[in-house]
Amino acid sequence: MSSPARNISEEPLGAAIPPLRWHVPVLAWLRRGWLGLTVAAIMAALVLPPVWTLLHASFSATQQDLSYGGFTLEHYRSLVQGRNLGNAALNSVIFALLATIVSLVFGGVLAWLVERTDVPLKGLAYVTTIISLGTPYILYVTAWLYLLGRAGPFNDLYRNWIDADAVPFNVNSLAGMVLIEGFLWSPLVFLMLSATFRAANAEMEEAARMSGASIAQTVWRISIRLAWPAILALALFVFIRNLESFEVPALVGMPGRVDVLTTEIYRSIKEMPPRLGYASAYSVVMLLMVAVLLFAYGRISRHAERYASITGKGYRPRPFRLGRARWLASGVILFNFLIVLVLPLCALLWVAFMPFMRPMRWSAVKFLTTKQFDAVLSSPHYLGLGVNTLIIAVCTATAAMVLTVLAGWLAARRQVAGSVIDQLVTVPLVFPGLVLGVALLELSLQSPVPLYGTIWLIMLAFVIRYMPYGMRYAYSGVLQIHPELEQAAAVSGATTGTTLRRVVVPLLWPAIASGWLFIFLICAKEMSLPLLLAGPDSQTISVAMFDLWSNGQGGEVAALGLIWAALMTLFASVFYAIMRRHAAKTFGH
Amino acid sequence: MLNVRGLTKVYANRGDGPAGGVQGASFDLQPATFFTLLGPSGCGKTTTLRCIAGLETPDSGSIRVADSMFFDGDRGISVPMNLRRIGMVFQSYAIWPHMTVFENVAFPLRVTKGERLSGAEITQRVDEALDRVSLSGFGGRSATRLSGGQQQRVALARAIVRQPKLLLLDEPLSNLDAALRDEMRNELRRLQQQIGITTVYVTHDQTEALEMSDQIAVMERGRIVQIGTPRDIYFRPANAFVAGFVGTTNWLEGAVGEVSGPGTRSFRLDDGRMVQCTLGGGQTAERGTRVSVRPEKVVLRRGGAPATAASNRLDGTVVFAGFLGTMNRYQVDVGGTVMQAYDTADAAYAVGEKVALDFPVADTVALDA
Repeated sequence: MSSPARNISEEPLGAAIPPLRWHVPVLAWLRRGWLGLTVAAIMAALVLPPVWTLLHASFSATQQDLSYGGFTLEHYRSLVQGRNLGNAALNSVIFALLATIVSLVFGGVLAWLVERTDVPLKGLAYVTTIISLGTPYILYVTAWLYLLGRAGPFNDLYRNWIDADAVPFNVNSLAGMVLIEGFLWSPLVFLMLSATFRAANAEMEEAARMSGASIAQTVWRISIRLAWPAILALALFVFIRNLESFEVPALVGMPGRVDVLTTEIYRSIKEMPPRLGYASAYSVVMLLMVAVLLFAYGRISRHAERYASITGKGYRPRPFRLGRARWLASGVILFNFLIVLVLPLCALLWVAFMPFMRPMRWSAVKFLTTKQFDAVLSSPHYLGLGVNTLIIAVCTATAAMVLTVLAGWLAARRQVAGSVIDQLVTVPLVFPGLVLGVALLELSLQSPVPLYGTIWLIMLAFVIRYMPYGMRYAYSGVLQIHPELEQAAAVSGATTGTTLRRVVVPLLWPAIASGWLFIFLICAKEMSLPLLLAGPDSQTISVAMFDLWSNGQGGEVAALGLIWAALMTLFASVFYAIMRRHAAKTFGH
Repeated sequence: MLNVRGLTKVYANRGDGPAGGVQGASFDLQPATFFTLLGPSGCGKTTTLRCIAGLETPDSGSIRVADSMFFDGDRGISVPMNLRRIGMVFQSYAIWPHMTVFENVAFPLRVTKGERLSGAEITQRVDEALDRVSLSGFGGRSATRLSGGQQQRVALARAIVRQPKLLLLDEPLSNLDAALRDEMRNELRRLQQQIGITTVYVTHDQTEALEMSDQIAVMERGRIVQIGTPRDIYFRPANAFVAGFVGTTNWLEGAVGEVSGPGTRSFRLDDGRMVQCTLGGGQTAERGTRVSVRPEKVVLRRGGAPATAASNRLDGTVVFAGFLGTMNRYQVDVGGTVMQAYDTADAAYAVGEKVALDFPVADTVALDA
């Protein structure tokens, strides 16, 4: 045995000179912990500067050339004194609250029907949900704007049949925003609540039925009470998301002068000259709101998990029999299918194939044209945008997964600095997309490296923003790997690096691929960050769609959006197929 | 070969359940010994094993294998686990599902520092190892398409492929079904003797420990309470815990009296009757308040049969008789205490019959409470 162990035991450290007791453990600790410390340092460097910049800018006076002009409370004073804050905050809360209720009721009823009753057409609900999750929000929003708008079929029908001059529904209002945002989130609510209903113990409901309760009584007194913590947690989650939402307020609310916090921030940034300090102060207010809500969310969802873990029977519970009400219930599913998928798609196709926006009428069919598609497909400008977006999405997803696989492993295995990393990685969650945009904008203006207006800045922002999502995939993936698989490698003589490379990463591959695809897809459709950070040469598809819409080129938005969504759906499907086959080959099942 | 001195590793109690760990464990093993750490769950046996492997860093103490010091708390030496060249089989086998059987076994050869083997050498050593565990020809299989017993063998092949000086086995049989467990038990022992490797085996199963080991260390709440051959452990338990944990036994309450012969003491039962006993291993004081008698050492006789020399005798009444095929199991009331006795299948005593129980003085062991 050419024992390397012996070499170490004969190190002069132990034998020749009397050992310095304190520095031996410190050295050993450093040797074990270099990876954790490095990753923690990178995380801190990514996550902490935006927070600091935001706070700093909100207390700094800005001079004409945007340089630092000393400490001031001026921004907060104008915030408090102006009527805008109260107004915007109130609007934000009302908007978020009502939209949450819409999506919760709609998605919740749907989830309960599909998971717990014998309603027909269950498959349709899933198909609708999955397709809708892959569509860029801005595309959805524009479709709905058209549908509910002045030229849209609803107002059009009303004018045709009832009153030729009226516009009964003004979409650019709080009500319009609430409806659109509510429908936007109902697929996600459906997915999450159906998981809750599926996990709930059906025996409790059956016991209630055996005790003589009617369906309605059982649902009200048992099902909803049991699912309550989960519903509450989900409601809070959706509420936070709605509060941070930018697409709907920008596209629907701003033209109608309905201001919320996010649009207020956006407006003060886009003003000339930009009021960075004011925007920062606004952002700090939002940050605090979200942080408090997230804290509450963490507590509630932990409670919800405890509640849901009373289950685990491997049998399919007997669904409620709805009797004749089945057909009424299947109407809900059809309605969902129409509202969430068919109508927006028809509207987009209609708009994309029309030379200019006009009501959906049979008489207009003769105007159908592929002009918009030609314009999009033949334009090198859009090709450039597509390439830009793809580069950003691929680089971001890759960087974020590399970082979070290391972080997830360190945290899950409780390595040196693991818990610090775990904390740092959750920090970006408190940043609404737009607020992070403001922070990075300021950061890039002060940065010694020219970052402003480059795609690097957008990538940086995306990596920070989506790290927590990557972490979720990586962390839970590592937890599923039996620790002895790694220990066996170490005992076999492998270093930490070799163990990671040859055992952890190959076993984690499915989780890494899923996380990568998830981040890739949201980067490809996210709008609020690039809208603030993009320079002339670093535009992305969703920014272009926003600009086109602002210019009134709805047809090109629809054409571009449809092509892009189709490409992304195709990419995701192929990716999934390859991933499945790979997993089957590797793991043999 | 393996010298462990004052090994201590205490876990901080995190508020959920008792803290495990090991305190002041010491033992020395001769080369080629099959050494078993035996004890109930949470007694520190696995912690001891993981400290030797390098998976845990001890708080203090020292671990030396042959002439290399793996750990020395006083001198601040701690060799990383990947440089220790130990073979280990894990409880879950830890077969990597993304590699073939061959790649699993070849892994230690490929990653060991300072040793670059050619492809042919690796193939030869892996085939040799697979051959040793009777898995020749399985190299190309995917590791997920193996039965539990086969995975076990792959893990074993992976552990011995580097020809380590020390083999660590962490409850390797606990995930197998009963029949397979018996088979693997024999095979493990045969393999260990064939290649003459020093082995540390962790188990909570006393039968495994007794059948396989050269030396057994019984552990209780983080401390080694007795080290000895299987016979020592079984017939000369050091204290009541060992006697109770390894096998079934009869307890008779009373008090140790004065010396009554070479190596024997008198023992007064609570009801005043006297028996002779020997002191348990390592016991010197007269604090013993009970004696232990193994059921298979108790012989039943008809009332009035002559007593045998160097035996104790107690009279009683049969209260339960059970036929187990290979033997009869009796419970006999000897004046307040019920004693168990195993007798041959031929002998038949009826419930209610008056019998005399004879058991050798040498197997009547007085122990601390």
